[in-house]
Parts: sequence; structure tokens; C-alpha cells
Amino acid sequence: MKKTHSIIGVILLSLLLAGCAGTQSRNTDPENDPWEGYNRKVFAFNQGLDKVARPIAVGYDKIMPDPAQRGVGNFFRNLDAPVTYVNQVLQGKFRQSVSTIGRFLVNSTIGILGFFDVATEMGIPFYNEDLGQTLATWGYEDSRYLMFPFFGPSTFRDGTGSVIDTFYSPVGQVFHGSNRWGLWIVRGIDTRARYLDQDAELNSAYDPYVLMRDVWWQNRQYQIYDGDPPMMDYDLYLEDDLETVEPVSTGGE
Amino acid sequence: MKLRILLVLAVASIFSSGLLAQTQADDPVSLVENITGRIYADVTENLEEYTANPEALEELVRRDLMPLLDVKYSARLILGRAGRDVGEEKIDEFSDCMTNLLINRYSKALLYFSSEIKLNVLPQRGDLNEKLTRVRTRVTLPGGGEAPVDYAFHKTPEGWKAFDVVVEGISYVTTYRNQIMPEVQANGIDSVIERLNSGQMQLAD
Repeated sequence: MKKTHSIIGVILLSLLLAGCAGTQSRNTDPENDPWEGYNRKVFAFNQGLDKVARPIAVGYDKIMPDPAQRGVGNFFRNLDAPVTYVNQVLQGKFRQSVSTIGRFLVNSTIGILGFFDVATEMGIPFYNEDLGQTLATWGYEDSRYLMFPFFGPSTFRDGTGSVIDTFYSPVGQVFHGSNRWGLWIVRGIDTRARYLDQDAELNSAYDPYVLMRDVWWQNRQYQIYDGDPPMMDYDLYLEDDLETVEPVSTGGE
Repeated sequence: MKLRILLVLAVASIFSSGLLAQTQADDPVSLVENITGRIYADVTENLEEYTANPEALEELVRRDLMPLLDVKYSARLILGRAGRDVGEEKIDEFSDCMTNLLINRYSKALLYFSSEIKLNVLPQRGDLNEKLTRVRTRVTLPGGGEAPVDYAFHKTPEGWKAFDVVVEGISYVTTYRNQIMPEVQANGIDSVIERLNSGQMQLAD
């Protein structure tokens, strides 16, 4: 149950940070991000942590040959398969859940503990589900954006889902062993290393907080809809113009 | 949240030979399909030449890509209400800026990825609309992974034109919009255009 303690630790830290929130009054998306003031504080906190995390990730990226790095990524991805499986069942996606089990078995054995993604080469499709997505498909569609210390962008729904997912995921279980911190740290570094390419984009953005939120949020919708979200209503982007001024701005028909 | 901008741009460059493709079939899926083979062939064949002379590639991209894109419409969507009071010329100027930025990145990405990526265009799905549609593609990456890249097309008097690229659900238009609209409102469009031109603006999508 030590895992639980660390989760509680993170929650307490969130509350602590919430205490010092409130000076920021910006409200760029009141509908999805009503806690923006707090979230910006956590974002700043995470950016601070990144001053330590990034150099480590850069080092890791330099030292590890690409295939090895890919192997580590595969290993952690494979460990997520049971979570995906459970949630596919919860969502009634039985056919897909069989494929997830197949992947897990193949990669865990022939793929040597998941380091080699043999299943993909065999043409077994990859899916990714979690409790947050399940809750969304069950009708809990709108949830507030919530930044977590260490873990980054999420929503109230998805954060809750992630915590529950850890209770039955191998990642949760495996990490209970004596070297669980080691594994968490490796996973963190590996994840961080995968986003190194995007640092320049984020840092030079006009509003990095909003950029991260936008990217996370849109990608999350995409996951929830299994890659086929309803097409955006682009006309809304012009509506201000149409209603108020400038008949010229009706744009491209 | 993978901001694979290079990839997006590489794939978007597939539109490069759009003009030629239009003679064959002009529905969006065919457009993307026909162009794919052509652009890969061209860049793969002339890779050395383009590597030595990236400007030639930029020129090619500019010439062939532009007719297939509705950059002005993208610019309007991105500016939103911030573009309301600035006037036509400013919108044009802004749209040119964005275009230059894109072409520059398209070309770089093309050189970087050309020989390694494969593109698979998925057949048209139910959401074909008379005016608006989405073309879905899957890009196979060198590492073996697959990235979903969709294009939003709308019908103009000159035929179907693409105005948005969506990578793993992340829309170029939406993402830029949420950065640029507030910046224009805070600093004015001239300042934003200047920033774009100076090459500092590096957004992701």
C-alpha cells in the first residue's frame, strides 16, 4: 500500500499548492478550465521541477541508443495492457479486448517482458483505454481541467480514473517491490525524454500554459473517441465576425 | 500529447503536387492519394539535390502546395475576432506570414523524413458533407509506430481545399488560434506579424 501513500502525498501537495493559488485571475477557458488560477500555479511548479528533470532526460536520451530507448518505451506500454483490457471490457469492446490480451501475451513472452513490440509486427492492433475514457463513454463527458504536480495535465475525471487504475495495473503492482521508486523514476525519465523535441515549441509559445492545455485536451478527446471525434465546428471560429461586423469575413464559403 | 510538428509538416507537404492530381479526380481522398506517390517520388529521387539546395525544395512546395490550401480561410479562423478590425490587407499580410512559416517547415521536414515515412490514406467515411469533409491518413514512422494525421477540407468555388491539419486529434488551426488571438489582442497584429517574420514563432500542433 505504499503506492497509496505516494498518491496521497501528491494530493496533499496539490492542496498545498491550491493554498497559494488565487493571485492569477486570468480566465482563458471558463468552461473547461474554471480552476485556471490554481492550474497555472501547478504548471509553474512543474516547470520548476523540469529544471532538474530535463537535464536528466537529455542525458538519458544521449546515452541510450534509440533501439534501447524504444525497448524501454515498449516495456512500459506493455504493462498498461491489462488496464486497457479491463476498460475495453467495461466499455463493451470485447473484440478489441481480445486483441489486447493477445498483444500482452505475445509481447510479454516472445517480446521478452515487453521490450520488443512483436505484436505490432504481427499486425495485432494496439488500443489504449483507461478508466477516465471509460467514464467519459459512460456519459461523464465534461470534466474540469486539472494540472497535477509531477504528472501534469489531466481532468478531475481522468485524475480520479488514473488513481483507481493503479490499484489493479501491473505498473501499480510491480512498483510495490523494493525498487519501485527506481521504476517510477525510469518511467518518468523515459516519458520526459520523449517530449524533448517539443520543448522549443512550448518555451517560445505566447502562452505555454494554454498551449499545453490545448494539446493535451484535444489529444484526450481524440483518445476518448478512439481516433474518430466529431468534426469540429469551424464556423464557430468565424461567428464573432459574422454576427457583428464585416460581411467580407464570411471566408471560404 | 505528441507535438510531432515535423511529421505533420512532412505529411502536409504531400499536397505539393496538388495541381497535377486535380486533373485525375478532385474529391479530397483522391487528391491526397494521388499526391502522395508523386511527392514521395520527387523528393526521394532528387533528395541529394534538394539537400544541397533547400531553397529549390521550398520553391517547389510553394508552387504546388498553395493552390491546394485555403490559407486565407485558415488565417481567418486563427485570427477569429482579433481579425475583425484589422482590415483586409493585414489579414493578407498575416496569412502570408503563416504560409511562409509553414512552407519553410514543410520543406525541412520533407528532407528529414522523406525516405522513411509511409502514408496510408483511409477511405472516405460517413461524414462526407457537401461543403466540409475530413480525410484520414495514417503515417508509419521510422520507429515502427503509426501516427494519425487528418486533413479538414472545405469546398470553395475553385474546388476542395484543405485548411486544417489534425495530428493525433490536435488541430493546427485551434492550437494556433488560442495562441495568436490573445497575442493579437494584447500586442496588435503588427507585432505578431513581426514576430512571425523574425522566425521566433514556433508553435506546435
